[in-house]
Amino acid sequence: MSMRGLTVFIADIRNCRVRELEEKRINKEMANIRSKFKEGNLNGYQKKKYVCKLLYMYILGWDIDFGHMEAVNLIASPKYSEKQIVRPVPSIVHTKATGYLAVTLLFHENSDLVRLVINSIKKDLDDMNEINNCLALHAIANIGGREMAETLATDVHRLLISPTSRSFVQKKAALTLLRLFRKHPDVIPVQDWAERIINMMGEYDLGVALAVTTLVMAFAQTFPEEYANCYIKAIERLKRILIERDYSLDYIYYKVPTPWLQVKCLRLLQYYPPPEDSAVRDELNELLQVIVNNSQDTPKNVQHNNAQNAVLFEAINLAIHLDSNSQICMQAAVLLGRFISSKETNVRYLGLETMAHLAACADSLEPIRKHQETIIMSLRDKDISVRRRGLDLLYSMCDNTNSKIVISELLRYLQIADYTLREEMVLKIAILTEKFATAYSWYVDIILQLISTAGDHVGEEVWFRVVQIVTNNEDLQEYAAKTVLNYLRSPQYNETMIKVGGYILGEFGHLIANSPGCSPIEQFTAVHSKFNLCSLQTRSLLLTTYVKFVNLFPEIKSQILTVFNQYRHVLDSELQQRACEYMAIATLPTDDMLQTVCEEMPPFPEKESTLVIKLNQKQGDTEDKRVWVIGGKEANIERRESLRARMSSTDSGSMPTTYSSAPQQALNGHSNSITEEPDLLGLDDLSLSSNAPPPNTMQTSNQTSTLNSLNDVPTPGFEPGYHRLQRAAEGVLYEDSNMQIGLKSEYHGHLGRVALYFGNKTNATFQNLTTQIDSNDSLTVISPNPVDNTIEAKSQVQQLLNIECNEFFRESPSLRISYVSQATGPQRLHLKLPVVLTKFMEPISTMDGNNFFQRWKQIGGAPRESQVVFKTESQQGINGESVRTILAGYRFGLLNDVDPNPNNFVGAGVVHGGKAGKVGALLRLEPNMEQHMYRLTVRTTSEVVSEQLRLVLERSLTYDV
Amino acid sequence: MCNFLEYKGIVSIVQCPIISQDTKIVYRRYASLFFVAGINQDDNELITLEVVHRYVEILDRYFGNVCELDLIFNFNKAYFILDELLIAGELQESSKKSVLRVITQQDQFEEQEANEQRNS
Repeated sequence: MSMRGLTVFIADIRNCRVRELEEKRINKEMANIRSKFKEGNLNGYQKKKYVCKLLYMYILGWDIDFGHMEAVNLIASPKYSEKQIVRPVPSIVHTKATGYLAVTLLFHENSDLVRLVINSIKKDLDDMNEINNCLALHAIANIGGREMAETLATDVHRLLISPTSRSFVQKKAALTLLRLFRKHPDVIPVQDWAERIINMMGEYDLGVALAVTTLVMAFAQTFPEEYANCYIKAIERLKRILIERDYSLDYIYYKVPTPWLQVKCLRLLQYYPPPEDSAVRDELNELLQVIVNNSQDTPKNVQHNNAQNAVLFEAINLAIHLDSNSQICMQAAVLLGRFISSKETNVRYLGLETMAHLAACADSLEPIRKHQETIIMSLRDKDISVRRRGLDLLYSMCDNTNSKIVISELLRYLQIADYTLREEMVLKIAILTEKFATAYSWYVDIILQLISTAGDHVGEEVWFRVVQIVTNNEDLQEYAAKTVLNYLRSPQYNETMIKVGGYILGEFGHLIANSPGCSPIEQFTAVHSKFNLCSLQTRSLLLTTYVKFVNLFPEIKSQILTVFNQYRHVLDSELQQRACEYMAIATLPTDDMLQTVCEEMPPFPEKESTLVIKLNQKQGDTEDKRVWVIGGKEANIERRESLRARMSSTDSGSMPTTYSSAPQQALNGHSNSITEEPDLLGLDDLSLSSNAPPPNTMQTSNQTSTLNSLNDVPTPGFEPGYHRLQRAAEGVLYEDSNMQIGLKSEYHGHLGRVALYFGNKTNATFQNLTTQIDSNDSLTVISPNPVDNTIEAKSQVQQLLNIECNEFFRESPSLRISYVSQATGPQRLHLKLPVVLTKFMEPISTMDGNNFFQRWKQIGGAPRESQVVFKTESQQGINGESVRTILAGYRFGLLNDVDPNPNNFVGAGVVHGGKAGKVGALLRLEPNMEQHMYRLTVRTTSEVVSEQLRLVLERSLTYDV
Repeated sequence: MCNFLEYKGIVSIVQCPIISQDTKIVYRRYASLFFVAGINQDDNELITLEVVHRYVEILDRYFGNVCELDLIFNFNKAYFILDELLIAGELQESSKKSVLRVITQQDQFEEQEANEQRNS
């Protein structure tokens, strides 16, 4: 039965051709409903009709600011207000259903009104009528706030396990419980319920089995030990489906028996380590073989094909998880080869994705390399999702044998790649080029080509690295100077290329000055023609290039002095200062000073190799979420070697392929005396990273100091984001009703890059947006470009920050934001950037017990040790998995099998303190499960570092955040 | 076209706070009807696609050749059916028969209710 009034109303709305008419109609209806509600005396049908109308307006996007109480009443009252006592049950149910629908749509979990319905819901859960039970369960699952979880979780659980519950209630109860657990895991005593719930996985009704397996899958990830018995249950279930063919016909989906349950079971098995018992392994292999055999043909029917493949891909993932070199995986590789050239886009996508998984785990890449051409072709696929997968796979499968081909293909593709893909691609190409470089000239060619092609998508560290390699390798300098000069002559404007060019010509321009077309004035013209297009930072760098030119080429001195003279009067203080100083040096009576100042740069110390650090970080980090994407196996071997090299020798040979031999001080020394020695040039001033401190640094710190005194308390609500992002690379930093601030970051050695995204959530424009960030000597935070000062409604702006750690610091920098909203007037926020010392730490996960304890003893106790015993506040007590996540999030490499007590955690890392050098950090965490206590010990060679690391970890472990 | 899209590199979409950067989009179009699901990075894409298909099949059987007008004028029904199929984003029941049975039962209640209303 439909409601005529509702149908007419919907038809009316649909007939409104313009928005104004719709608004008029909506307002009229709202006024009507409001007055009807006010009058009261509505019968059940009428109430239902009006609430439905309100709902319709709501889903069209109109604000509904009344009617909530009517919805609540619909849920609660019928039993008593409807006067018909005779067989009232069915009619109540449907009115109630509408009430519930309204509540689930109009209410959200934090709404105060939720409190009003909790009692009604509880009543319906206890009701004898199962239909009421179901409605209540839907409401809990759709709203599911903390208060509901606390009050109702046990009732839901009772409905799940009660022998009198019908199967359709049990299914709903299982998934409702899942929803409550996901949102509020601490409220639910999951461990105590294990046995009962696991047993239900064997339920004959496949609907119940599916719902319960889904629930167990979530529980088992958090409590693997308590739920360990589910492993066998999942195998049994698969056996019943695949071998015994024991299922009801209703559950065959296009010839595939209950694909959803199969997928859940196969996934559940991946959350546990491969079984030790060979009988269990054989059983699993048999099951996987059945699935692979079933998938040899491609069904014509789309649904059949999808369902079959959904199961197959999950099975392949399980097979790789169990043993990536098994017979099954070989068969899978053949299938995958077929899939990646499939006509169906979805299958190509999944084929590439699964192949990347295989590439990361298998010992031999041979079965995958056979398909190299197809994979390269996938970069040109018409579908962007497939192109992304192709990129990831190529990156995973690149090695010595195919690096040249892969890199040149990636470069070729970069020119036409989607903008959203480019930044990631540049990073990947730079890493691969660095990793597989065998000849200098090849490296420079490729990197310059990369910079030229990618333009703005190149991160700073890429060009820093080029300059370092050129400076450190004499054979290369002439070639590099010539190549870069050619690039500068092209009409194309590319700021990164100008920076590289400016630096290299300033240092090595004289090497090519006698070649045709490379005379001093030609070099100067090439650089200077783009001068006015550049940012202030680049212009500062170029002024330094010019003063070097004065020294190298006296014949063009007059042209250059003209430039200096002109810039002595610019407003920007940094440029002005440089121009004045360089002018003064260049016009001294003798050239002694000029020559001394412009002495050729000494080779860069090896600790500066930011890309290598970046490379290592790329491998160790889990930022791709799936650790296996980044060629896991190979990476680990390489890491171990680089660590060994670090231990044995400090010879800083400058071949680009051997720079992994970082100084020994990494772990046991404070800092490298060679790099600390102040040479006449002031390495710091001309060194790459601080070559041209942008003018706004100083300004910023001045402003903040005055502001500090006015408003030094951070905005309430800053903490969750600040703490969470201390151990995550990206996420939401802060959110309120107006603005959402997202953050993405990457750190390499002592350098970091942070991108802030300011999102305007409202319909009003924000103007005069300004941001101020603390920056000081120990932690420099520089914004290369100021943030746009306007954010349009419902859009976002971005700000990039370059962060450099120069000393071991204690305080995270403050971020102060102010803007004027057209709707709500001026707003101010004071947040903390989640920059803590551990961000500049690189994990070390390859160190054996002897080594660890030897170093442990070398460092010794206090004051270089920082120790604390504390109790965790987490309701669930101590959970090994989440401790691991926390430690890894703070970038400690976890060392397994080092501590004699397997419950203890042992970790290591290297903190990069910029000028303060590197400090090795060792960690030992001893949990006491019964008492919910930890003893945390951090040892490093620096008191400050030990203390800071200890503080950060202590807080995080205490509150489990 | 691939039915899967990845939200890589987007930290937040202001208009749609539910979608985080780890989300994949699985979507499918049936003539004038569009279905979109957000799933986790490591969820099974194909099986999600078939959840959508099952929903469409049930709508189709219920309305008889479903089109967007059916869903507009009976939006509450579309929600009720979805509740019988999915809870907490997970498939609750994959048997078409079983879902349709519950929905038909609901309709009978509704009819009864209307009759009672008329009689009173």
